[in-house]
Amino acid sequence: MSLLPSSAVRPACGELPALVAGRYRIERLLGVGGMGAVYRARDLLREQFGDPEPVLALKTLAADFADYPDADALLHAEFALTSRLHHPHVVRAHAFDLDPASGRAFFTLELLRGPGLDQLLDERPEGLAPAELGEIAMALAGAVAHAHRRGVLHGDLKPGNAILAEDGLRLIDFGLGQPLPGALPGLPRLDRERFAAWTPCYAAPELLDGAPLSAAADVYALACLLYELAAGRHPFARLDARQAREQELQRSLTRPPGLPPHCWPALRTALAFDPAKRRIDAAGLLAAFRAPVPGRLRRWLRLTHG
Amino acid sequence: MTVLASPWRSAARSETGKVRARNEDAVLERPGAGLWAVADGMGGHAGGALASRLIVDGLADLALEGGLTQRLAQVRQCLQQANRQLVQAATHAAGPTGSTLVVLLAAGARVVCLWAGDSRCYLWRAGRLYQLSRDHSLERRLIDRQGLRPQQAARHPNAQALTRAVGVDEQLVLDSLELEALPGDRFLLCSDGLHRNLAPPALGAALDLPLATLAIERLFAQALAGPARDNLSAVVIRR
Repeated sequence: MSLLPSSAVRPACGELPALVAGRYRIERLLGVGGMGAVYRARDLLREQFGDPEPVLALKTLAADFADYPDADALLHAEFALTSRLHHPHVVRAHAFDLDPASGRAFFTLELLRGPGLDQLLDERPEGLAPAELGEIAMALAGAVAHAHRRGVLHGDLKPGNAILAEDGLRLIDFGLGQPLPGALPGLPRLDRERFAAWTPCYAAPELLDGAPLSAAADVYALACLLYELAAGRHPFARLDARQAREQELQRSLTRPPGLPPHCWPALRTALAFDPAKRRIDAAGLLAAFRAPVPGRLRRWLRLTHG
Repeated sequence: MTVLASPWRSAARSETGKVRARNEDAVLERPGAGLWAVADGMGGHAGGALASRLIVDGLADLALEGGLTQRLAQVRQCLQQANRQLVQAATHAAGPTGSTLVVLLAAGARVVCLWAGDSRCYLWRAGRLYQLSRDHSLERRLIDRQGLRPQQAARHPNAQALTRAVGVDEQLVLDSLELEALPGDRFLLCSDGLHRNLAPPALGAALDLPLATLAIERLFAQALAGPARDNLSAVVIRR
């Protein structure tokens, strides 16, 4: 990615202060990623005006990473990608800002309370019940389909990047995201040669082969995740896609028992190692999960899952 | 800091020391909930500080309900979650690396000590000091598995290397020890910055003091009088 003109004179970054930008009091560290950290913070300004829920999430770069000259631009790119999306199942970003004293860039976003899908999978080693699976799958596929429609690629779809908040699922962390070619011109892009910018067992084989991020690569990761939710295990025994391709694991792929049969052709197509054979998009996966369940199964679902 | 409703009194402190640029340790003190911890982050730059803070902040937010077994399950689940996050973060360049951890969890008089790495838990009971945790370090492994004498093992160039920590392996394995606390018992949780610089008699003499705050004062006064090359953290808990 290119440097911003101002970055040459950017001072070295200090520690994140306890009170950021004179307004956000840091309460606790909620999560860490490859480059950034997310804190729970209290917005003292909103609190002063009697806001009953003045807490939010605040994302910033880890201190060592913040010293890269172009790091703020990367954080801003994540903010720009996230705030382009308006969907009930995508985390909402509020504002991008700089803490003047420390020079640290940050952005605020809605605070989500609830387990990640990784934690949910820990609790459901056999996979999710059909009704629960359907709801989560539609939320996830809907969120990814919306992002793609808006020209945003996620780049790191995995169980830990979806949270089951009190009012429904949210897709989070567009830190490894990119705009689709032609969308958001001028936005800096993450240089994937500098960072190992994916999670191996959800990365599409073409990404591991050096191809740029694409909607098809997001679809592969989404399909791995959906399969894992249905089966309680990764489709290719947590191998990366290149290893799975070498071992021809696709041949032995079978429908997870918890997956409605009418969804299987779509999911199997989305799991194709060859991107040319992955002839389905996120909207197609959403349509498959949204399709009415055939009569007999629907009656059974009603009986067993209320 | 003490809570009157709880049978437990405790005090905690964490210091950068004289050499390190930043403090990568984190401590937790929740006497009302019966939960205390010391985490010693490791890894380049700020990674270690983030790792130890992630663990301790997660434990700070736990609601902790039910008896000891349920509470222990909640603590373990919280730590697995932190471990998973740290392991995932480490797959990307520049991510944080990991942290040692020692936790003390109490429900009534039942106490569980949980640990990974070389942060330690000691018990001072009736004038004697017991080390409840066993380090997950190369030094300890050389003694246990290859039969080296402690002096020989300590001379190994990587003696202090850890064989276990939070945020290193996909599946976190914690050692644990459960015991019944007696009135007058004192527990010490500390990072290696403290126990490498104070010999057991000094630890015992500090723990013998009548208040947890006094014990902490004494431990830090003595440790900071030495070279204090590493971060130093300790929690003293008494029943």
